[in-house]
Amino acid sequence: MRFWHKTYILTLLLFLICLNTGIMALAVYTYQKNVENTEASATAEQHYITRSFENDYNSMLEAGGMSNPSLLMESYGNHYKSKGIYLSFEKDGKNIYSGFNIEYSVGKNVIAQKKIDGVRYIFISSDICNGEYDIVYVKNISELDNEFETLMAVYALTALVVSLFLALCLFLVLKRLSVPLDKLRLTTEKIEKGDFSVRAEEKGKDEFALLARSFNEMLSKINEQMSFLEIDAEKKQMLVENMAHELRTPLTSIHGYGEYLEKAAATEEERILAAKYIVSEASRLKKISDILLDTAYVRENRFEYTEVSLGELVLDTVYRLSNKAAENGVTLNTDITESTVSGDKTLLSMLLYNLTENGIKACKQGGKVKISCADQQLTVEDDGKGMTPEQLTHITEPFYRTDRSRSRSEGGAGLGLALCKQIAEAHNASMRFESEPEKGTKITLVFTS
Amino acid sequence: MANILIAEDEMSINNLIKMNLALVGHSCAQAFDGNSALYMANSSRFDLIILDVMLPGISGFDLISHLNNTPVIFVTAKSGLEDRIKGLRLGADDYITKPFEILELVTRVDVVLRRSKAVSHSFEFDDIRIDFDCKKVFKNGQEIVLKPKEFDLLGALVKNRNIALSREKLLEIVWDYDYEGDTRTVDVHIQKLRKKLDLDKRLKTVYKTGYRLEV
Repeated sequence: MRFWHKTYILTLLLFLICLNTGIMALAVYTYQKNVENTEASATAEQHYITRSFENDYNSMLEAGGMSNPSLLMESYGNHYKSKGIYLSFEKDGKNIYSGFNIEYSVGKNVIAQKKIDGVRYIFISSDICNGEYDIVYVKNISELDNEFETLMAVYALTALVVSLFLALCLFLVLKRLSVPLDKLRLTTEKIEKGDFSVRAEEKGKDEFALLARSFNEMLSKINEQMSFLEIDAEKKQMLVENMAHELRTPLTSIHGYGEYLEKAAATEEERILAAKYIVSEASRLKKISDILLDTAYVRENRFEYTEVSLGELVLDTVYRLSNKAAENGVTLNTDITESTVSGDKTLLSMLLYNLTENGIKACKQGGKVKISCADQQLTVEDDGKGMTPEQLTHITEPFYRTDRSRSRSEGGAGLGLALCKQIAEAHNASMRFESEPEKGTKITLVFTS
Repeated sequence: MANILIAEDEMSINNLIKMNLALVGHSCAQAFDGNSALYMANSSRFDLIILDVMLPGISGFDLISHLNNTPVIFVTAKSGLEDRIKGLRLGADDYITKPFEILELVTRVDVVLRRSKAVSHSFEFDDIRIDFDCKKVFKNGQEIVLKPKEFDLLGALVKNRNIALSREKLLEIVWDYDYEGDTRTVDVHIQKLRKKLDLDKRLKTVYKTGYRLEV
């Protein structure tokens, strides 16, 4: 059963109980009051009749004896009968005159109501003439019952109409109110079926709107997280595929030349060539494994922070790479404004070495690489072949090569910049790449810590 | 034998393929990127092109559509099914995945060449001529009668000449995969071949490896 169904049924039930109980109580109270009023007026009337009878009886006694009091009684009886009041007179329990021709029994000095043949009467008895007689006053009060029944009928009809009206209104109102909840439910059902692009409607300012808003926010967060995880998984998959490729190429060579040495009828020269290939490909494997280990080293944050002079770092790197630069016909320039940063000297040196080496590789014969340092900042700038914006977004991924065909003529494993990125991150340094094809690349490292 | 173009950007692997194919008598030309491979394929005739999928310049998959009817064997580093299917769908005759074995390379090349009838049906060395079509061997013009298994063994040694073949491999090639024979069978047949064709100097026993026909 839906929530709004429950609310509807319970509210309606509660209301009907209250309404009908209220109406009933009112009806009963009104009836009670009417009975009391009737009784009071009947008592007053009986009192008046009694008084006037006693007066008449006494004046008759004084005027010359009472031959037959029953005549007086009869005249009173007849007189009041026309007003719907029946009088009876008794003496010592014996009926002298009775205007009421139905059997009844009633005690002395009482007020009682009796139903005789479905008609309600009020009986009031009292003694008169100093206890010589008893008078019984009887009045038909079935009017009271009729009134009550009519009243009840009117009340019941009203209650029925009001109840129906209420039931209808409540139904419409609750159904209308539950619409946003229903919409929210439909939204969740869609999500359950895998459609994460849907959003709940955020109309209004009530709890449902608030709920929808939080729900949408939650959905956005989940979507964000999911796409992040997807990208991450994709990257990892790429990494594994690339790594398999990187490892398979030298492995193929080593395996192939090994088998060649084992099986081929080869000349001494061919054997030496095969052996050389085995050695060089094995050292390529070693290089890959070294860089992977370096990457793991950086990831595990096992390094020592000291004050590192950036000027020294630049000079040191230039010194180590001067031979390679000369071989490639590349000029290394420096622009040093001394500054120190807190970091691991080995790692920072590795970082700058990698960046500079990349710069040298990107340059043609006669190219220039400029390494500069200033306040908390390192810059490596080359005038080499540059990169497209698309390439720039990938360069820090492990095993990525800007040359899509993965030519290894320049050497390297394609891991350098991935390592650089990790080192930079470990030092809270931001690494910014600016590049334009055929114009060159500029890498700026800013240390923020 | 056949004239083969090897298009592979890795110098070491390119040379490896060349050296192995040279052993069985093929002559090879080498290309190290897609553009030069295309240029060479169009400027001279090859019986077969061994094409790396990931070539700089023009990739192997792009290159194959520019080649006219020359048989192609793809070399792919990925053993992924997709690449292989794509290669075959583009019209490649076969593929080899890295790392490969010498025998696998030689056999696949041989199969493709035979399919395109670029392989000769007879082979001669010294004074011996082997006719593969009518399964006969001649020495000094005189037919030497060989038993069927002896001829098959000679055929396997010739096709993989200059490469050592293990006894197990020979059993597998000549006596079929499931043959649970003794490797001694191979030794016996080798002895007979040596005797009948006087091959003591050519058909060598390679230490701890097997036999090799050196031509």
